[in-house]
Amino acid sequence: MNAKARDLDALPAHIARPLPGRAPLKLRWSAMARIAWGMMFHQKLKLFGTLFGVVFATLLANQQIATFLGLMHKNTMYVKAQDAEIWITAPSTQQLPPGQTISEAALMQARAVPGLAWAEPVVVGAGTVSLPAGGREPVTLIGVKLPHRAGGPWNMVAGDGSVIEQPDTLTFEDAEREKLGGLNIGSVREVNGKRVYVGGFTWGLLPFGPSYAFGEYDTVRRLLNLEKDQVSFVLGKLAPGADATAVADELRRRLPDVQVMTRDGFRDTIISYILKQTAIGVTFGTSALFGLIVGFVIVSLSMLSAVVDNLREFGTLKAVGATNWDLSKLLFIQAVTYALMGSVIGLGLVTRVAKGISGAKLSLILPPELLIGSVVVMTVLCVAASSMALMRIRKLEPAMVFR
Amino acid sequence: MKYAIDARSVTKVYGEGDVAQRVLEGCDVQVPHGEFMMLVGPSGSGKTTLLSILGCVLRATSGEVRLFGEAITGVPENHLSRLRLSYIGFIFQGHNLLASLSAEDNVAVQLQLRGYPTKEARREARALLDRVHLAGKYHRRPAELSGGERQRVAIARAVAGAPPIILADEPTASLDAANGALVTELLRELARERGHTVVCVTHDNRIFSLADRIVRIEDGKILADHRERAA
Repeated sequence: MNAKARDLDALPAHIARPLPGRAPLKLRWSAMARIAWGMMFHQKLKLFGTLFGVVFATLLANQQIATFLGLMHKNTMYVKAQDAEIWITAPSTQQLPPGQTISEAALMQARAVPGLAWAEPVVVGAGTVSLPAGGREPVTLIGVKLPHRAGGPWNMVAGDGSVIEQPDTLTFEDAEREKLGGLNIGSVREVNGKRVYVGGFTWGLLPFGPSYAFGEYDTVRRLLNLEKDQVSFVLGKLAPGADATAVADELRRRLPDVQVMTRDGFRDTIISYILKQTAIGVTFGTSALFGLIVGFVIVSLSMLSAVVDNLREFGTLKAVGATNWDLSKLLFIQAVTYALMGSVIGLGLVTRVAKGISGAKLSLILPPELLIGSVVVMTVLCVAASSMALMRIRKLEPAMVFR
Repeated sequence: MKYAIDARSVTKVYGEGDVAQRVLEGCDVQVPHGEFMMLVGPSGSGKTTLLSILGCVLRATSGEVRLFGEAITGVPENHLSRLRLSYIGFIFQGHNLLASLSAEDNVAVQLQLRGYPTKEARREARALLDRVHLAGKYHRRPAELSGGERQRVAIARAVAGAPPIILADEPTASLDAANGALVTELLRELARERGHTVVCVTHDNRIFSLADRIVRIEDGKILADHRERAA
């Protein structure tokens, strides 16, 4: 037994002894959580102010990112919707419609490559619809071939798939009916100066540029004035068990004068082209970042203000034995709570907004990764925003409670 | 280890050079175990500064302070918080309860910091509130309690977990005469029951009679030290 323990033993029995000191970590977390939540919900105005910051940041950042993803989807949906995993086109092609065509010989050579179940040609090009009241509207003409109808329409809301087999007949985008002069099934229009019938309507196939109009292969080729041996794309379907990359490599070896891409590769090429050629990525990215910065500032100032308003309470906590580390836990718990509450509210709102404004022309895409990522980002943001409050607490001297 | 608190030649100077202000000058205070001592003096005499130094929330410029034989001078800041938890319960002039927590939670949080598991902390907090005559007011927040009741919650928090030393800074300053006497009497009872050593800073002469010993401080110096009644 050491001298200190002997001294304590020698004290009269009724005298209170020194306590062990610091409690286990779990209990300290529990105590700090109780205080953290108590303070948060006690100051309702500050709670709402801070939550507003988190909700605003979540809402704006997600709305911008979801709109961006929606626009990217609109521009790549044609590629993603097709059954074909292999896309062969002109070397310069980076988007739809391609600027150049390739020889139909590529089609014959592709059909000879092992690993492809079938290969079909597609013609794509710019068209203009003459309106009854005068004027013209652009469309993107797509001609597909039977029997596979590779590259053909989907999301048909009027007419049926067989319309694609009829000569001099096109399907148009339902959302563009008024714009194209009040189209109906059976309407007649001049496209690129030639008469065509309206055979059906698709819904939501609106990229950045003109809407898609689908037709039988030879009809569209005639509308585009393409030579007989020229095609825009050769689309290939993999045979069961075949590897897309290996087949694409083999095609590149056999067809050195054209560009061979996998479906995913072409999608990435389109996205990359849009990001490089337009300021869309920077625009949406800046707006999303702005939302995060505003959220950070609001949360940061609100948490600092809450600490400044409660300096005496924090000083008291320090005086009665809470360490800076304990008070860091308190702020951490508050920051995470703000982040979770604000994210859930913000994501709920942005989901409703997305449902409300999504339509044929605009879609807001909120993938699960974005929703989960938002919660993580807001948590990091709120924890970082609590650092100013933490610095103020660290500087606080417990002796202030006696002043 | 004769004393619960043993302060020798404690000096506190704020600032340096021409602007230096000497608040305490060579103060010697020894408080035996279980004693109820009052530290009295006019405003600005240095009594609260001395209490802050004894409470490990302020460092002396020179001198030595020991609590239960353990030196607190020169101890790093993070270690001081452990010493405060081990040795000291505080009662502040303005009660300093956490406004957002109930009376029970204010006491229970202190118990949790001292190592009481959550359920036990709640049970003990209620027992302490019962002891300070606040049964049935467990869930009231400080704003829903009277001044005297708040100070009684503060007493329950200070004695929570039974720290050996209770330091009280003007605990009756914001109370009327009746409540002031009641609170001090209660503090004295609890200290006797549970073996706390109490140092109570006050200039309320209505409660002097409750002290075992009164130490008078003026201009930063201990002027008188005498026993009021038998311990």
